[in-house]
Amino acid sequence: MSRNRTPFARGLEALALCLALPLGAQERVVIQYDCIPNYANWGGITALYRKATGVRVPPDMKGSSAAMAALEAEKANPQADVAYYSGAIGYQAAEKGLHEPYKPKGWEKIPPALKDPNGRWFTVHTGHIAILVNTAALEGRPVPRSFADLLKPAYKGMVVYDNPTIQGTGFTFVYGINAVLGGGADQNAGFAYLKSLDANVLNYARENSYNDVLRGEIPIWINADGNGLKMKWVDRAPVEVVIPAEGTITMPLVMALVRGAPHRAEATRYLDWLLGEDAQGAMAESFFLPVMKVKLSPDLEKKFLPAGVYRKSLVLPLDEMASKADSTKQRWLKEIARSR
Amino acid sequence: MRGSAPAEQRAERIERIGDHAARPLLMRPALALLPLLALLFALLVWPFAHLAVQSLLPTGGILGAAGGRRGFSLANYAQIVGDPLYRGETVHSLVLSFAVAAASIVLCLAPAWVMARREFLGKRLLRALLTLPMSFSGIIVGFLAVIMLGRIGFLPRMLERLTGRDLLAGAAYQLTGLVIAYVYFEIPRATLSLESSLRNFDFQLLAASATLGAGRWQRLRYVLLPGLWPALLSTFAITFCVSMGSFGVALILSRRFSLLPLEIYQQLTGFLDTGLAAAMGVVLVAVSFTVNYGLRALAERRTGSDA
Repeated sequence: MSRNRTPFARGLEALALCLALPLGAQERVVIQYDCIPNYANWGGITALYRKATGVRVPPDMKGSSAAMAALEAEKANPQADVAYYSGAIGYQAAEKGLHEPYKPKGWEKIPPALKDPNGRWFTVHTGHIAILVNTAALEGRPVPRSFADLLKPAYKGMVVYDNPTIQGTGFTFVYGINAVLGGGADQNAGFAYLKSLDANVLNYARENSYNDVLRGEIPIWINADGNGLKMKWVDRAPVEVVIPAEGTITMPLVMALVRGAPHRAEATRYLDWLLGEDAQGAMAESFFLPVMKVKLSPDLEKKFLPAGVYRKSLVLPLDEMASKADSTKQRWLKEIARSR
Repeated sequence: MRGSAPAEQRAERIERIGDHAARPLLMRPALALLPLLALLFALLVWPFAHLAVQSLLPTGGILGAAGGRRGFSLANYAQIVGDPLYRGETVHSLVLSFAVAAASIVLCLAPAWVMARREFLGKRLLRALLTLPMSFSGIIVGFLAVIMLGRIGFLPRMLERLTGRDLLAGAAYQLTGLVIAYVYFEIPRATLSLESSLRNFDFQLLAASATLGAGRWQRLRYVLLPGLWPALLSTFAITFCVSMGSFGVALILSRRFSLLPLEIYQQLTGFLDTGLAAAMGVVLVAVSFTVNYGLRALAERRTGSDA
């Protein structure tokens, strides 16, 4: 019977074999919620991990809040092993009992403010909210230097920040701008600013905008400084990273082991690795400040913004931020996103 | 002619045998339907029942708006009807889908007509091109709209070069962009559905009515339109329903103009209000089903019960 096979049938068989091979080999994976390749260079970090260990960590496009919601929805039947968040959302997820306490290797070296004492979350690196400007796309307009500058009519339709109900960085900005502008507990100063800014906003992005900024479709993106520095130094784009004159917000980016992780053993090995020298070094090369002390080469150090620009950067208490997260998101939806 | 009677009888007997005894068991139509029915139950009826039950539970999401209330209630539905925001989004979805369905039919009738009636070089290629958008997911169509109609999109850039004015820049993020992108992915469905109906239309009726003295308007009003009406209705129904449920395009493009599917996503990802999201899903399904069923019923009444 096999003699009668046509070349087509043989081709099909070969194809089927190729497809079956990786299945047979039992590929090892760790599922990380919020693993956006163009955020904090997760694409590069996970590629490095695969090279070192053969374990694949597939990309996942959920932002912090979307990741937390997914974990909560899947509580009875968890699908993810680890999750990555903007600090406040990670804190909130820990409070909901979505994480299993785990202290990876080197945990004790993390500064106390940047971790949960019980290991329910810990910082892997920090970033700052910054104004990322594609200077070529400004077409002659001056580079904005402050949050106040962004309100100028010259930037109409040029500003983008992430939808805070989905992306943690967007939430950190929407929540933190109030404190940066010296607002009180009622957050009215922050929301008044966001309302004025609305006139210049092109879109409240639900997906990552990295490529749109590189292309110049989005000239001004309020996002983490490291992503802009990577555009500038790695992608060689005409991008300037501005820490606003009013000050900014320091944003710890945290991770945790998911309660009931399906690949728990692999997941803990991965978290250990992320705090190790290789991963922390790679994070520095992606311009997010590693939480562990890593020796930077002078060449790399020069590419970071001078420490002085962060003088006025605020460190906001995560517990308070987490407890106000949902009401802030609701208010943003009501007053900003759907105000017309 | 008398000789034909036994032959007829024989044919009838063969047919009857063919209907019952001769076919293997699995070939019986009812049995052949079983796998599909099982699949429909598992992937449509069961999840929908689950959704319907969820929609009656006022979870209140992570804000705990339900205040820990338990038990079944219509609170989620009351919220959709009572909150101007959610009511507005439902209306947006309806209006957008209605406009997109109507526009798709107007746009696609001519190409469908040409493809059903004429043979020409490259017809296969044209049909392949027209059906291509069907293979793109909504998110891809959204990105496409940004590249074509974004702030520095291809079209605005070209118009600026031609007219020196800033036309259509950023249209992708406005209602215009949303409608254009939706129509774009409805083109294949509308064209294919209209073309196959036009193929079945007996164009000799038009010639016959002309012979009988009907004028251009009369032929359109009394022959063509009644003949095509069911096709228009069913095409409208399918494009309407697809637009109602579509999500990816709006996810990328919509800035302020929110739609029901986007709100479902927002409630789930932002606030984990499963009850409210489920109720919105039920509303979405109910609207789509009612429109689809109603229009099809209308179309069938027009053609007679056997259509």
